[in-house]
Amino acid sequence: MDRISFTFDGQEVSCAPGSSLAAALTEAGVRGFRETEKGKPRGIFCGMGVCQDCLVSVDGRPNQRACMTATAPGMTVAPQPARPALTAPPAVNRSAHRLTPRVLVVGGGAGGLSAAIAARETGAEVVLLDERKVPGGQYFKQSARPEAAPLDAQQAEGQALVARARDAGVTILPEVTVWGAFDGPEILAADPGAVYAIRPGALIVATGAYERPAMIPGWTLPGVMTVGAAQTLWRSYGTLPGARVALFGNGPLVAQVALELAEGGAEIPLLGESAPAPWRRPLASLAMMRRDPGLARKGLSMLAGLKRQGIAPRHDLRPTRIEAAPAGGLLVHYEQGRHSGRITADAVCLNYGFQPQNEILRLLDCAMTYDARFDQLRPERAPDCRTSIAGVYAVGDCCGLGGAPAAALEGRIAGRAAAGGPGPSAGEAATLARHRAFQDALWRVYDSPAPPLEEAAPETLVCRCEEVEKAALDAALSDDPHDIGALKRATRIGMGRCQGRYCAPALAGLMARRRGTPMGDLSYFAPRVPIKPVDIATITAAEALLAEETNG
Amino acid sequence: MARPDLLVVGGGITGQCAALSAARAGARVALVDLGLNAGSTANAGSLHVQMQSRFLRLNPHLAENLESSLPLYLSAVKAWEALDAELGGVELTREGGLMLAESEAQLAFLEEKAERERAKGLDVEILGHNALHRMAPWLSEEVIGAELCRDEGKLNPLVANRKMRAALERAGVEIRRDRITALEDGAAPSALGTRRHSAGQILLATAWGTSALLAGTAVHVPTPPEPLHMNITEAGAYEIHHLVQHAERPITLKQFRSGQVVIGGGWEARLSEGAGAPGIRKESLLGNVALAARIAPGIGGLRVLRTWAGYNTPVDGKATIGPLEAASRIHLALPGDAGYTLGPVVGQSAAALALGAEGPIDAAPYSPARWRG
Repeated sequence: MDRISFTFDGQEVSCAPGSSLAAALTEAGVRGFRETEKGKPRGIFCGMGVCQDCLVSVDGRPNQRACMTATAPGMTVAPQPARPALTAPPAVNRSAHRLTPRVLVVGGGAGGLSAAIAARETGAEVVLLDERKVPGGQYFKQSARPEAAPLDAQQAEGQALVARARDAGVTILPEVTVWGAFDGPEILAADPGAVYAIRPGALIVATGAYERPAMIPGWTLPGVMTVGAAQTLWRSYGTLPGARVALFGNGPLVAQVALELAEGGAEIPLLGESAPAPWRRPLASLAMMRRDPGLARKGLSMLAGLKRQGIAPRHDLRPTRIEAAPAGGLLVHYEQGRHSGRITADAVCLNYGFQPQNEILRLLDCAMTYDARFDQLRPERAPDCRTSIAGVYAVGDCCGLGGAPAAALEGRIAGRAAAGGPGPSAGEAATLARHRAFQDALWRVYDSPAPPLEEAAPETLVCRCEEVEKAALDAALSDDPHDIGALKRATRIGMGRCQGRYCAPALAGLMARRRGTPMGDLSYFAPRVPIKPVDIATITAAEALLAEETNG
Repeated sequence: MARPDLLVVGGGITGQCAALSAARAGARVALVDLGLNAGSTANAGSLHVQMQSRFLRLNPHLAENLESSLPLYLSAVKAWEALDAELGGVELTREGGLMLAESEAQLAFLEEKAERERAKGLDVEILGHNALHRMAPWLSEEVIGAELCRDEGKLNPLVANRKMRAALERAGVEIRRDRITALEDGAAPSALGTRRHSAGQILLATAWGTSALLAGTAVHVPTPPEPLHMNITEAGAYEIHHLVQHAERPITLKQFRSGQVVIGGGWEARLSEGAGAPGIRKESLLGNVALAARIAPGIGGLRVLRTWAGYNTPVDGKATIGPLEAASRIHLALPGDAGYTLGPVVGQSAAALALGAEGPIDAAPYSPARWRG
């Protein structure tokens, strides 16, 4: 297939059509996409539009996320300066749309697609918003080239689900970022060419989760990324994150991605799992196999695959520090029990669980309960997945970790209910209970609590965006801040572009432990619009739309 | 500290400055505050001097009060400059404030306003199109002129709040965490919360909480909170040096040295039902930012990162400083609009009166006498 080309920092870069900028730059060997205020290089990290580290300037428009921006022939891309000049960017013409579907689904993963199909099949008009160019979500990770043959059964299943949603008549709006959620509910969103104000009859939030990395010195270096970011590079764009990739984390995704990258041709010098080996937890392992023999078998065949690739997962192992290796690439220091070691790699992937993307739910004031086992908030839901707020449903991992099969089933239940159909059948309720029991057993096998923030080294960047070190956090804590908001104002931790997505969970736990207070919704930063940084041209276009409605 | 000489109720900038100046003067001082966010800790750091068109538009009946307070604003900026030096820098700059005009009528309004302000000692000047655009190239061509007030400026409230806290600690001010719900005046006045706080004198720097605390006294100050919306962008090059307002439209726009542009100017937020911070209205977010982008297209490449809201307490547009009555040991320190600008001078003046010392200004015009009966 013909390749396209664009320039980055004056150099010509070529890539396959459909590549994201981040994938194209990674393939071209570019690691650092920009420098921070303190002159530190940053590159792709979350790979899903959350961390805001991979910012570049595209055709004169500053602060574009390379991971979410599609390449186009002839683009002029430049590293994003920390402080762009205050010159008006090239004008964009954004059309403005008021949508009032019976059902609005936010998120096109397993849960959202299933919800949209069920609502449509129950007779409702359905609009589905997804932030990516091709829907599918994190589990089904679709290829950016729709004509490409699926890599495996998981991708094929996602492709079929997307096709079913289209065939059912779901209006899928891709590349849409939701930035505002207000009472009503009313959703404000934008894609590169349009803004949307959406007042649905019912809202189904299916926004999934983002990954928890390890907050260790060096976690911001270019080449260090989440396991999911590496998986997206490979599954969606056919780009390996590096030739030699070390993976560290907790849970089956880490091993799965190690295998996928190895099968894609990467060398995997180390796969480090923080939990003990499953055979050291025989009861939990047995319980897991009993609850879903199919999924458990999938896990075993993955282990066999790793073995074929010559990869032996190492257990009880955690990275402690990452630095730039003198000869290029990254040097990771790790500990395994009382032993320590070092390994070099050109890409280092981290995943220590997931954090629900519950911003919309919290903004809409849905009642939330803290789940201590998974250290995350879960919305309170009725059996048909409705939240405490009228007309608002929530499904899948945005409600706390549950896995793709549960998300899909919750989606079917919520989609039907939101469209006025019947509630869950006894069979569905039983299946959902089985999925949840499997997750419960799975995470007992992988149980491995992260070291608390208190133990982080003083030079650890607690806030990636504002570049605030643990030492500065400790200094602010000596003033005994009353709550997480006071701590934020004292340190700037959480004031940056990722809006506290990485620091908030760690800080919330730390504050609760210090003050002896129970964790809850108020332990986290207060929910605030915008949900994601929103460009001023989007606001201007939305303002014009709403003003026109008000004035006649 | 068993019984402080002065108990300050309210830990915003006004109360903090009252406590700091009293402690520096040798008094034993305690400051009691609940530690919740909404007032000073939600502030955006404008140093206002010229009459705000927002206030004139919303409260035309109080224009005279505002005008008579102009000398206090000049003293307030001096107090902030002294504080900036004392605290070791709070990113305070006094590069002036611009109030923009987009029409001849607006410019005429500014000319008249400037005349009145000049009579009160303000350093103001009307700028035509070319002079203005040389000074502020990021402005829209639609802006035809402006009033420049050289006395105005801005500071970074996050830095100021942090340094203020450290200064209070160094000065030996005892910080107590409590919510005060009632007062007892007399020879040994007390503030009552979950416990009794007795002191030689009590100073209320309680903004919108004041009128409830004074229930049962002869002083009736209206202190309804005014919930206001704010927005902040990601950082850009430091090019907006002035505090920017508009002759007719509700906006303040300024840039911190750290590059973020703060956009506000009196757009309404939603009054909170409980003790928490006020809520955000989408109309305010959209209207406020769209207006900012129209006036200053240069900020169009920055994205909005956060919004928040806080409470202003306009009272009658004039400060209230001093004891409830001649013999009272309960004192008021209410800036009356622009609380962050006026906080230091109002707090210091009220503390000086409470301790029988000489304050930075003649506080007689601001006596609570007007609220008695």
